[in-house]
Amino acid sequence: MDDWDSWGMLACLCTVLWHLPAVPALNRTGDPGPGPSIQKTYDLTRYLEHQLRSLAGTYLNYLGPPFNEPDFNPPRLGAETLPRATVDLEVWRSLNDRLRLTQNYEAYSHLLCYLRGLNRQAATAELRRSLAHFCTSLQGLLGSIAGVMAALGYPLPQPLPGTEPTWTPGPAHSDFLQKMDDFWLLKELQTWLWRSAKDFNRLKKKMQPPAAAVTLHLGAHGF
Amino acid sequence: TAVISPQDPTLLIGSSLLATCSVHGDPPGATAEGLYWTLNGRRLPPELSRVLNASTLALALANLNGSRQQSGDNLVCHARDGSILAGSCLYVGLPPEKPVNISCWSKNMKDLTCRWTPGAHGETFLHTNYSLKYKLRWYGQDNTCEEYHTVGPYSCHIPKDLALFTPYEIWVEATNRLGSARSDVLTLDILDVVTTDPPPDVHVSRVGGLEDQLSVRWVSPPALKDFLFQAKYQIRYRVEDSVDWKVVDDVSNQTSCRLAGLKPGTVYFVQVRCNPFGIYGSKKAGIWSEWSHPTAASTPRSGGACEPRGGEPSSGPVRRELKQFLGWLKKHAYCSNLSFRLYDQWRAWMQKSHKTRNQDEGILPSGRRGTTRGPAR
Repeated sequence: MDDWDSWGMLACLCTVLWHLPAVPALNRTGDPGPGPSIQKTYDLTRYLEHQLRSLAGTYLNYLGPPFNEPDFNPPRLGAETLPRATVDLEVWRSLNDRLRLTQNYEAYSHLLCYLRGLNRQAATAELRRSLAHFCTSLQGLLGSIAGVMAALGYPLPQPLPGTEPTWTPGPAHSDFLQKMDDFWLLKELQTWLWRSAKDFNRLKKKMQPPAAAVTLHLGAHGF
Repeated sequence: TAVISPQDPTLLIGSSLLATCSVHGDPPGATAEGLYWTLNGRRLPPELSRVLNASTLALALANLNGSRQQSGDNLVCHARDGSILAGSCLYVGLPPEKPVNISCWSKNMKDLTCRWTPGAHGETFLHTNYSLKYKLRWYGQDNTCEEYHTVGPYSCHIPKDLALFTPYEIWVEATNRLGSARSDVLTLDILDVVTTDPPPDVHVSRVGGLEDQLSVRWVSPPALKDFLFQAKYQIRYRVEDSVDWKVVDDVSNQTSCRLAGLKPGTVYFVQVRCNPFGIYGSKKAGIWSEWSHPTAASTPRSGGACEPRGGEPSSGPVRRELKQFLGWLKKHAYCSNLSFRLYDQWRAWMQKSHKTRNQDEGILPSGRRGTTRGPAR
């Protein structure tokens, strides 16, 4: 029961994601600052959270009981390499902006990678479509976070050194174990989106100047 | 931790299964005591379990039903406290049946879309993969269609590289964990299954003041304009509030048609579709296109299109007035055989002359009453 290699293999795949197209620098002349991008990113996390709720519901029904039962809590075995959203409150509070953004960016890069690898042969065409759609939205979130980092002058996290994006399929992972991995992936994705909303809300408040001399236009961005 | 054996087995409906859950490793001294099984979240009755030895619990299931979900039934071995020690996915179902009823059509001879029905007896309970294969009859090489679910779950679309004039052999292979099945081979010539776009630019207009006719005009579908020597068309029309369509068949190779026998002052919806019959000398009918978007038009109200007052069922006030006029005329004039019949004849003549004068012009110029137009006497 100890071949968690598939997670490791997938982690290699993640290096592909590091080669995201370069985000153009924001035009700084007379621009409203990173405020609107932060708001947009916040809105995106809320939208993704909503999208995930319906996707997860359908997917867990596909996995069948007990995976779709409300208090289901299987052992978290292979999912050790999943980026964990849960963090000590004081640690979270004391994160500086750069670290806060970096953690979000790295987490979603990994999660997107794993989600793409969620290759359920037997899933219905509709489920595959919903997954693909969610991946696209998640890619959008990554781009948005990258935009905020660029606006604040932070460099994007670099890919892991020496890892080339080659992925060879590892030894067979039992179907039941795969179901448990899928369960935890969706759970972690959900937790991250909850946390990110709070992260970006916090950033939003920090970016607002204390004096009313400058008003930031934080329009709600629809999508 | 523990291990369940067998891992992820595939079984035929009605078969039996003997499974074991073996604990090992930590915590040391772990035993089979207190372990229990659940299947799809439901605890299994204890009489189905048996302790084989200190570290192994066995399970005997008989007469299995088809899997509850295609991802496999979840058989789980739990510790005494309910925590999950191990799991195994059971795939219980039937092998696929021969797919049937393959039908294909080609849009403008550029592609081929095929549809089929899975074998008749319902669910296999297992994920079944369908693969549409095709090859040119005398040229050996099998090809596999790649774009699935284009028009429903059992369909596939071949977008290019299709040859004309040689028949294709087409079949569907269905595969699942328990086996595979292959449909009968369908042999077809692309030219015999051609369909096209609905005719564009469908216009419906009045025929002068004629209250029971409408004229329909369309354009031959442009994609096949160089090949449609013998296109057939069909027109259907209905009254606005009705669901019953009337169909005009056998509209061969023309791009206009006159609908007659309609109700006056009524809105009609009209649609046209095309069949590329006899394309490139094929002896067969092609496949009807979709209907064009509905076009609406209304027949003139009786009494002339320029009836100034709306809502009256027939030419009420005009007729009443005329009745009075004729009555007066009879009393005071010399034309003793004036009658309503004469008036009706005159009206029919008026409509006929509108037709020749105002072909397709529709509504008469407003403000002029029909009764004042007449032959100069």
